[in-house]
Amino acid sequence: MSGALGPPARSSEPASPSRGASASPADAPQRMRSHVRAAVVIVVLAVVVVGLGYPALLTGVADLISPGTAGGSLLHATNGTVVGSSLVGQNFSRPYLFWDRPSTNDYSTTLGYETPPGPTDPALRALLNETIAYMKQYGNLTVNASIPLVLVSPSYSGFDPYLTPEAVLVQVPRVANATGESIASVTAFVNSYITPPLFGFIGPAYVNVVNLDYALVAWTGVGP
Amino acid sequence: MFDPRSLIDVVLVLVVVLLMAPFFGRYLGRVFTDRPAFGDRFWNPIEHQLFRLIGTNPRHSMRFKEYTLALLVTSAAIVLWIFALMVFQSSLPWNPNGIPGMSWDLALHTASSFTTNTDFTHFVAESQLSLGGAILGLQIALFLSAGTGLAVVVAFIRGFTRQDGTLGNFYVDLVRAVTRVLLPMAILGALVLVAMGLPQTFTSSVTAYPMTGGVQTIYLGPVASWTSIEMLGTNGGGWYAANAANQLANPTVLSMLFQTGLMLLIPFSLPFMFGQMVRKPNEANPYIATILIVFLVALGLFMYFQYIGNPALGALPGVTISGNYPIGQQSLGTLPETSFFQVSSIYANVGAQEMALGSITPGAQMVSFFGMFTQSTPGGVGTGFGVLLVFSLVAVFIGGLMVGRTPEYLGKRVGKDQMRWSAFLLISHPAVILVPVVVVFLAGLSIPALGAVRPNLQVNAHQFSILLYEFTSEGANNGSAMGPILDNTMFFNLAGAAVMLVGRFFPMIAMLAIGSLFSREEPIPASTGTLQTNSFTFTLYLTMLLIIVSGLLFLPVIALGPLSQVGG
Repeated sequence: MSGALGPPARSSEPASPSRGASASPADAPQRMRSHVRAAVVIVVLAVVVVGLGYPALLTGVADLISPGTAGGSLLHATNGTVVGSSLVGQNFSRPYLFWDRPSTNDYSTTLGYETPPGPTDPALRALLNETIAYMKQYGNLTVNASIPLVLVSPSYSGFDPYLTPEAVLVQVPRVANATGESIASVTAFVNSYITPPLFGFIGPAYVNVVNLDYALVAWTGVGP
Repeated sequence: MFDPRSLIDVVLVLVVVLLMAPFFGRYLGRVFTDRPAFGDRFWNPIEHQLFRLIGTNPRHSMRFKEYTLALLVTSAAIVLWIFALMVFQSSLPWNPNGIPGMSWDLALHTASSFTTNTDFTHFVAESQLSLGGAILGLQIALFLSAGTGLAVVVAFIRGFTRQDGTLGNFYVDLVRAVTRVLLPMAILGALVLVAMGLPQTFTSSVTAYPMTGGVQTIYLGPVASWTSIEMLGTNGGGWYAANAANQLANPTVLSMLFQTGLMLLIPFSLPFMFGQMVRKPNEANPYIATILIVFLVALGLFMYFQYIGNPALGALPGVTISGNYPIGQQSLGTLPETSFFQVSSIYANVGAQEMALGSITPGAQMVSFFGMFTQSTPGGVGTGFGVLLVFSLVAVFIGGLMVGRTPEYLGKRVGKDQMRWSAFLLISHPAVILVPVVVVFLAGLSIPALGAVRPNLQVNAHQFSILLYEFTSEGANNGSAMGPILDNTMFFNLAGAAVMLVGRFFPMIAMLAIGSLFSREEPIPASTGTLQTNSFTFTLYLTMLLIIVSGLLFLPVIALGPLSQVGG
């Protein structure tokens, strides 16, 4: 047992310059000045190698292998203007669009995130009831359909681009009515935008509402 | 309804991590001992030049005082560098969004936060952090803080293998942690994240003109490379304020699962590194078992509380909850997947967030607190395993006294000096958390921060949880946050910086001191009375000790906060 616990074996290899730790000239502790120098050099090296070199290398590779998503999955209008990103929700509260989740920050990306009221805070119930009432009055949802909670509850980012298929499908009557399309054709349109779970078990089925709405406007021609 | 199929991928990721951990742990063990390791031919000449630049003799092995000094001086240099960048970022180049400089107290909080692997942010990255400040300042701390964590734990472990009182060379350990572990893996991880659709560009923002009017700023940057090391080094400070809940940093379920794997890989490998370093591979077993027991029970409880939902909400007529409890959460991910990400993030002391912790159910909040109380199941890179090892020494000591034998571990006597440092370490944790919480109330600061009501400074249980979470997260160097709390103030910035620095460096010094005490001892031969640590009994004993000690230290405050909210 003590053999196994002796000093680390240093003779198992021909000592390369940077290995081994017991040469006699190395026994004296470094002075304070040399520690300060070492710390400064470490910071400078880190800035060059992992601060600058590392992201630059990755950016170079990313430009080659996936320029679209590496640039932020941007969406362009036909005239080339950037209209948004597939990964960032927007305010879609128009009758002819599918609404995404409510945002107390008005979908601001600059505010960064939102803090919905705590679980036992009465303000949470009030906020939900307010959104539910609005949804029932103006949402023109499927008659007698239950509203999925996700459609009326705030997310963490405040600009969640995704929704569950049920929360999108429940809005079909309103969109059909506002765009003049039939319920069946709008339903079919939504169905073509449902991403099923990967391999059938990874993740939920979901709809990217940003992609859906921009495609919807292009399809129906009804837009702002 | 809960679909059991959604558990499959979570189990798969865990199994992959657990299959990789022994190999990776063995590699780590070789990197940090003097045994030949994979990549020696490539790295040795490079490291030789780096050591020359740094001005250290790699053969020089430091004792406790010098190792500690090197650790503190290096960390101080990182703090100063980030502090300067943050204060002056408005006048420095590479600030395309015209971000103003930070106030000195916020800059100090930020510098301390990233240097201590906490990454608790009192700022909103989108509007208060420049591109240059992020990658040239904070990003180097993502690497170096994880590196110092690894360095300290390997020095601690060397105490069991040496008799000359030395712990190794701090600079060698730090450099190797970055060159041989963090940098290559971060590059691999970032490549995968790029392929999964994360932004990777030096454009810091794009202005978009949505069809419904107005202007939307799409914040970009080298997000993939940042996120990779953020998760791998258990840092947790997101490129975006919403962290992993901003879908730009986490576009698909696959990216969420991959990031979870990145968070867990090094913390789960460290017990195996320990086994390799002390040349007793089986000694990893009680640790990996203890970590798994606590982690899996926590994950199960978290999922259970999120599944039963929020009783305080009562009935909402005409509304259905299907699957995941959605309030404060993104739509991406099923209940097991989001819970797995969040529990891993908190229990590995990463602190990345996929959900608003202030909005999840009280039971799940309680589970989150407990992960930061133990700090060690599995805990952050290096320090987490170090704390677990200290718990184990306490277990060995108490166990030895109970059977009336001299307590010993791996052939080294566990004496009262080691126990004194261990006790200091374990008690410092509640101290750095609870003292500032009390100060906040006594000084009346709960009024502006939480909206407490005069004259009794009354706060409700949720507000108390928010305040407790602030300091718990900082004290455990976790970095996740529960809001809303107005914490970008002079008091919270300075108190937070102090809590993070003490919560990081005091336990590190204690670990080095314990390692140094062991390192000075001659090994004693094992006898029939030696406590068998690689056993089922010891594992259970260690687990119970960990839960009871962590639980007892914090039970009163948990009762005031989340516990009083469970069940409405």
